[in-house]
Amino acid sequence: MTHRIPWILIVFLAALCVPWLGSRFYTFLATDIAILALFAMSLNLLLGYTGLVSFGHAAYFGIGAYTCAILMQTAGVPFVFSFAAAGLVAGFFALVFGVFCVRLTKIYFAMLTLAFAQITWAICFKWNDVTGGEQGFSGVPLPDLSLMAAIPGLGGFRPPERFYFVVLALVALSFVVLRRIVESPFGRMLTVIRENPERAEFIGLHVRRYELAAFVLAGLFAGLAGALFGIFNRGVFPDLLYWTKSAEVLIMTLLGGMGSFWGPAVGALVLTLLNQQITAYTQYWPLVLGSVLIVLLFVFPGGIVGALSAAARRLRRA
Amino acid sequence: MRVRRLLGAACAFAGVLPFAAAAQDIKVGFPMILSGPGALSGEPALRGAEMLVEEVNAAGGVLNGRKLRLIARDTKGAADEAVRVAREMILKDEVNFLVGTFTSAEGPAVSPIAKENQIVFIAPVTKTDQLTAPDKLHPYVFRTASTTTIEGRSAAELAAKLPNVKRVATMTQDYAYGQDTAKAFLDHLKKLRPDIEVVDQQWPKLGEADYTPFINAQMAKKPDAVFSSLWGGHFVTFAKQAKPLGYFDAIKNNFIGAGEAGAIETAKAMGSDYPAGIWANSYDISNWESGPQSHKDYIARLRKFTKDENPSSWPITGYVAMQALVAGIKKANSIDSDKVAKALLDITFDAPTGQITLRGKDHNANRGQFWGLMVMDPKYPFAVMAEANYLEPTKFMD
Repeated sequence: MTHRIPWILIVFLAALCVPWLGSRFYTFLATDIAILALFAMSLNLLLGYTGLVSFGHAAYFGIGAYTCAILMQTAGVPFVFSFAAAGLVAGFFALVFGVFCVRLTKIYFAMLTLAFAQITWAICFKWNDVTGGEQGFSGVPLPDLSLMAAIPGLGGFRPPERFYFVVLALVALSFVVLRRIVESPFGRMLTVIRENPERAEFIGLHVRRYELAAFVLAGLFAGLAGALFGIFNRGVFPDLLYWTKSAEVLIMTLLGGMGSFWGPAVGALVLTLLNQQITAYTQYWPLVLGSVLIVLLFVFPGGIVGALSAAARRLRRA
Repeated sequence: MRVRRLLGAACAFAGVLPFAAAAQDIKVGFPMILSGPGALSGEPALRGAEMLVEEVNAAGGVLNGRKLRLIARDTKGAADEAVRVAREMILKDEVNFLVGTFTSAEGPAVSPIAKENQIVFIAPVTKTDQLTAPDKLHPYVFRTASTTTIEGRSAAELAAKLPNVKRVATMTQDYAYGQDTAKAFLDHLKKLRPDIEVVDQQWPKLGEADYTPFINAQMAKKPDAVFSSLWGGHFVTFAKQAKPLGYFDAIKNNFIGAGEAGAIETAKAMGSDYPAGIWANSYDISNWESGPQSHKDYIARLRKFTKDENPSSWPITGYVAMQALVAGIKKANSIDSDKVAKALLDITFDAPTGQITLRGKDHNANRGQFWGLMVMDPKYPFAVMAEANYLEPTKFMD
């Protein structure tokens, strides 16, 4: 980092203002974006930092969502524990699947992540007693946030807005941890592996082990995002684990720019708003969205953030 | 990020403005599958709702001239997207009611959203019993669709009357809808005909491409009759593979195809390949000769509205759901969801197929389907339902 601007804090404070804009719709949109931003950021730990293309990242998002929803709804476990459990369970599955995945490289790695994700999807789709099968789980309760009433200024808000504050705080916290991870020596090693895995091996890095660690961390944060999404969405469904969801998060990351820390979050923001605006006006949204994406990807090969920072550099030089 | 969000907010706000001008309209949100393969059914369901809106508005609207306005949004066939658009329509477009959703995942997913926003939600297509199960039922959710229980039991009523049937088998997909219909069918059949034996149950997966192993395994058990709930394109794939293997001949066409295997879309898709002689169901048919005048009039209007001589069987789903809503608004004399929800309990209205009642105890309609023998009629280039029978389900609903 060349200049120490506390971006996380700035964005966090700006996002905090959304409920005061007056429309519940903006709060709802902002919650969606914040959660998906975390999901995309977790993928970027693999994609942008370690150079591993995962086609099955939605599996961990879905596992987190199911874990949290099942614990909260069926077992009545409080949100704090369910949320933590969602991350741990997703991380555990990432470990189990990752052990196999990191044995392969490039497209084989990608295909294996996809295979594991589809297996997980099939289990969620079929295991009626636990996951609710095709219909999933609906009516996941909002966490009990009555404590927030005691905080001055927040007492007047309705539960969805209170939940937004919780989401924002948890996502910001996750961003801080992710930033710490990528800037730590461990994170730097991941970058080395991305740039040149053979060389990394030669200088004595246990490449597979590092890749596995990145895989587990990415799965863990995806699980946390999934837990929040399940509550926000009031239900979890097998769709959340389907490969289309994995593709969606991959697009977010590429669109925003996998080369920068904030890229995936910007991608999540842009894709969510694009989707919302376009589907509101036409049912031929795949055509419009596809065209917009093609243009964006061709004009900004480094993603939106990549293009912006290139422009900023050029301005500074001029 | 903040700037972008403000930009988005500005765009969203600009989108709201035109709606604010026509505050007199009663806005109905219609989340429906409008893209992908499901659009083949979702799109016509929306057309049916549009037709009713046009008719009601042409007759002067409701509540002293207030017009109905339909706001349709694509759910992409995904439950989370259905939740997203439902919320958006409630929060941004400020719709007064929700009518819509298609799959058995979408309906139960949107139901809690209707509950927490206290908005009446009527499901026109979703059949799963889960939607109105006692632990999921709330004052605002209603269904004008048939249910898996009704569908399975209707098929059982039919099967029980087939001559010389002692050995029964099922061919249903291995997920909630297939499992629920098969169970409803077998449980009811055992009650009606304790002498019947269940000899085989095949569970192909949803989206199976090769049914041959399932077909062969089932034929080896020599059933006299088969119940299936393969729907839409799945039935087409299955029947095309089963016919050359002599499957339908082996069971003497004692095949009962639920899941709208008798729908005109399916018949059109298969043309002369359709296994004529089987029994199947459909939400609607355009050749109900013995039906009431109201249905004949409805079909005539639908032909004009859709400019299709053999209109789809799906518009009636959207049409009837909107009819229920309009009846509720009129009875409540208000667009307040709490009042309309109360008015909808035990309400009876005149659907094209006859009177329909939304039962107060479980918010389900006594919505039957057409069941009949599928035959090739020289008047049509595809199979049609002969002597169609609208099975009124009241007597075998719980």
